[in-house]
Amino acid sequence: MKKLLLLLLISLGFSTLLPLIPVSASAGVRYTDEDYRRLSAVIEHVENVLYYGHAYNQDTDLLPDAINTLTGMPAVWTFPNRAEVPYSDLANQQNFFRTLVALSLVTGDPRYREEAEASLAEYMETYQNTNGLMYWGGHRMINLDTLLVQSTESENGPHELKNMLPYYELMLDVDPVATVRFMQQLWTAHFDWATADLNRHGSYSAPYNNNVFGQPMIPDIIVMDEFGMPIIPANSPGDLPFVNAATDLAYAAFTLADYTGDPAPREWAQYLMRQYHLASNPDTGMTVYQYKSTLITKSASECAIPSYTNSGCGDRVARQFRDFGPIARESNVQWKNTQAIYVDNILMLLEAADRYGVNEYVDWARGYLEGYLDYGYIRINGTNKIIPMFNDGTVTYGYVVPEVGYYGPSNMRLDYVEMPTTYLLPILRTILATEEPENQVKLWTYFREIAHTFGLGDVGPLGGNAPALDLDTAIDDPFALMAMVELYQATGNSEYLESARTIGNNIVHAKFRRGFFVESEIMLYSRLDQPETLALLILDGVLRGLAPADMPYYLADSGYIHGYLLSDDGVTEDRNYSQTIIYTKTIYD
Amino acid sequence: MKKLATILILTLALVAVPTLAILGATGALDLVGQTEETWDEKAVYQLLVDAENLSGMSRYNNQIIAVDGDLALPKEYRGVTITYSSRHPEIISNDGVVTLPDTCWIDSRNQQGQDTTQFDHLNDNWPVVLDVTLTFMGQVRTAKLMLVVAPAEGFTCDKYLG
Repeated sequence: MKKLLLLLLISLGFSTLLPLIPVSASAGVRYTDEDYRRLSAVIEHVENVLYYGHAYNQDTDLLPDAINTLTGMPAVWTFPNRAEVPYSDLANQQNFFRTLVALSLVTGDPRYREEAEASLAEYMETYQNTNGLMYWGGHRMINLDTLLVQSTESENGPHELKNMLPYYELMLDVDPVATVRFMQQLWTAHFDWATADLNRHGSYSAPYNNNVFGQPMIPDIIVMDEFGMPIIPANSPGDLPFVNAATDLAYAAFTLADYTGDPAPREWAQYLMRQYHLASNPDTGMTVYQYKSTLITKSASECAIPSYTNSGCGDRVARQFRDFGPIARESNVQWKNTQAIYVDNILMLLEAADRYGVNEYVDWARGYLEGYLDYGYIRINGTNKIIPMFNDGTVTYGYVVPEVGYYGPSNMRLDYVEMPTTYLLPILRTILATEEPENQVKLWTYFREIAHTFGLGDVGPLGGNAPALDLDTAIDDPFALMAMVELYQATGNSEYLESARTIGNNIVHAKFRRGFFVESEIMLYSRLDQPETLALLILDGVLRGLAPADMPYYLADSGYIHGYLLSDDGVTEDRNYSQTIIYTKTIYD
Repeated sequence: MKKLATILILTLALVAVPTLAILGATGALDLVGQTEETWDEKAVYQLLVDAENLSGMSRYNNQIIAVDGDLALPKEYRGVTITYSSRHPEIISNDGVVTLPDTCWIDSRNQQGQDTTQFDHLNDNWPVVLDVTLTFMGQVRTAKLMLVVAPAEGFTCDKYLG
C-alpha cells in the first residue's frame, strides 16, 4: 500500500516533465518517473549498441552480436588458428530488432526502426546465398573486419536454425522477395519430402526450388502399435528431426502461407508438427524431442566403443541408457532439451494458433504441459524443479550412468532438471488461449504454484482477478515481467502492472551496467538477443495504452554460434558454443 | 556398509507429529470470522503452502530409506488434510509404510549386455515418487515427494532390460 501511495506521489510530481509520451497512457494508468527511468535505460542501451556497434566498421550497417561493456568493442570468435574475428549473425539479433521496433513505437521516433531495417536490408541484399538460405545461424557469421562470410564448422559450415524464430514481419516489410525465398529454401535444404527426415543442418549447395511446397503429401510416418502406442521409426539416415529445428521450419511455413495465401506451406507445417504429436505418449501426454531414431550404418566393431557416439551407431539413448529397456530412446528423454520441447516449441504452437488459426495447437500445448507437470514438476527446497524421466513416466532420477556416451560421462548421476522462469510464458499463454474455464483449472493451479515459488506472490484463484502479489518481489527476470504484463492485459487488474513495474525496476537495477544491459553486474558482454529490453518496452507500451497486437512479441532468445575455436588456455582447439565461451566471461577475466 | 551409511529419518516424524498436532488445534480457528471471499481464499492458499513447508512432509525429499516400517508421514497440519499416492505402492504404500524391495532398481550392464562386476550396485536404490494432495475448505494444492529406498538385505539384481 505504501508503495502504491509512493508511486502515486512520484507520478503526480513528475509526470508533467516526461518528454517521451507520444501516445496516451493506458486508461487509469499514470506514467511515472520510475517508468521513465526504465525507458531511459533502454534508450541508453540501444544508443550505446548503435554507437559502438557502428563505430567499429562504418562501412556496414551490420551490428555485432555482443558488445564488450568495458571497451565498446565487438565480441570476437577466436578460431583455432588464433584469428580473432568480430562477428555479426543476424539470427542472433532478432530480439534487438524487436527492441528497435518497439522503441520507435513507444517514443514515436522512427530512427530505431530504420536502424533495424537498414541492418536487415544489407544482410538480405549481401548475405543471402543464391539458393535462398541466409548466411546466419549456428555455424555461419559475418566477419566485421572483412565483411565476408565465415564458417565456424570447418570450411563449409551448414545452415542451422534452432528456435531462432526470426522477426519475419519486419523482414517481409524490408525485403519480401528475399524473405519468401528464404522461407521456401529453409524447407528444401532441411526436409526430405519423401521420408519426412529432417536435418538441423541444411546445405548451401541445395538448389533453389520455387515449387518447394508442391510436393505430394505423404502419409504420417508415425503409426501406432497394437496397444495404441507410437512406433518410433529407427530408419533415419543420420538426419534426426530435432524439434528445435522443426519449430523454425513450421514457423516459417505458417508465416509464408499467411503472407502468400498459398495453403500448401501451412499444410506441410501441420504435417510436420503432427508427427511430434503422434509420437507423444498417449497415456502421459508428454511429447518428444524427435520422432525418429537413426538407422545403424556403422560397423559393430566401431560402435562397440561407448565413447564413439556417432548417430550411425543407432539411437544414442538406447546405447547409453540400455538398462531401462525399450523406453530408452532419444525421442522419449525428458531431462535434456526440455526448454526446446516445452518452452520454445509451445510458444511457436501458440503463436500459430493465435495468429494463423491452428486452433488444435492450444489443446496440444495444454496436453503436453499438463502431462509434463503432472509427472515431473516438484518443489525441492523452495525451488521449482523437474524430475528426470522418460515420457512414459519412468523415473530416471538418481540413475548413475555406467558408461560414457552422447549424454555424458560415465558415473554421471541424473539429478533434477532446472525449471527456469521461461516456463511461465508457455504455461500462462496456454491458459489464456484455452477457451473453456474447466480446461484452464489444472494449468492455472500449476502456474499459481510455480509463480509463487519463483517469489512473485499469489496470482490467486482461476481467472487471476484476486491476486495477492509480492509487490516488493526481488525477481529481476524478463519472463516474469512479460507474464505479469500479459496477466494485466488479460484481467485488467492493476496489481499485475505494479508487479511488472517492480520487476522492471529490479531488472534495471541489477542488469543495467556501464550503459548496457548485461546478464548480471559482472558479466562482460551485452548480448543483442537478450530479452530484457524487449520485455521492458512491452511493459512501457502497455503503460502508454498501446495495443498489444501492435507491439513486437517475444518468441525466443535461442541464438548462438557453435563451432571450432581456441580454448581460453590459448593452446588447445575446442568445439563449443558462444553461450559457453563468450557469454560466461566476466569483467574480471 | 552402504546401508549403514544411509540416512534413517523415521525418528523425524516422532518429533514432528506431536508438535503439529498442537498447532493444528489453533490453525483452523485463524480463519473464523474472515468472511470476505477473496481473503478467505488467499488465507486458505497460504495455509496450504504452510502445510507443505511446515508440516514436515518436505523433509522426506531425497532421503534414503533403508528400513521397513511406517515413515509416519504427516497426514494433517492445522486442519489441512494431507494424503499420499505412491507410484510404487509395493515399496511405499499410500499410508507411508515402507516394504524394502527384494530386488535392485536397475540391473546395469555394459554396452554388450554383459554382467560385469564393474557395475554391481551402481543403481540398486529405488526412486519412489509420492504424489501429495493437500486439502482444506475444498481448496487443493498438489506436491510431490521423492524418496530413495534401498533394497532389502539379500536382494537380487538380475533383471536386465536392455
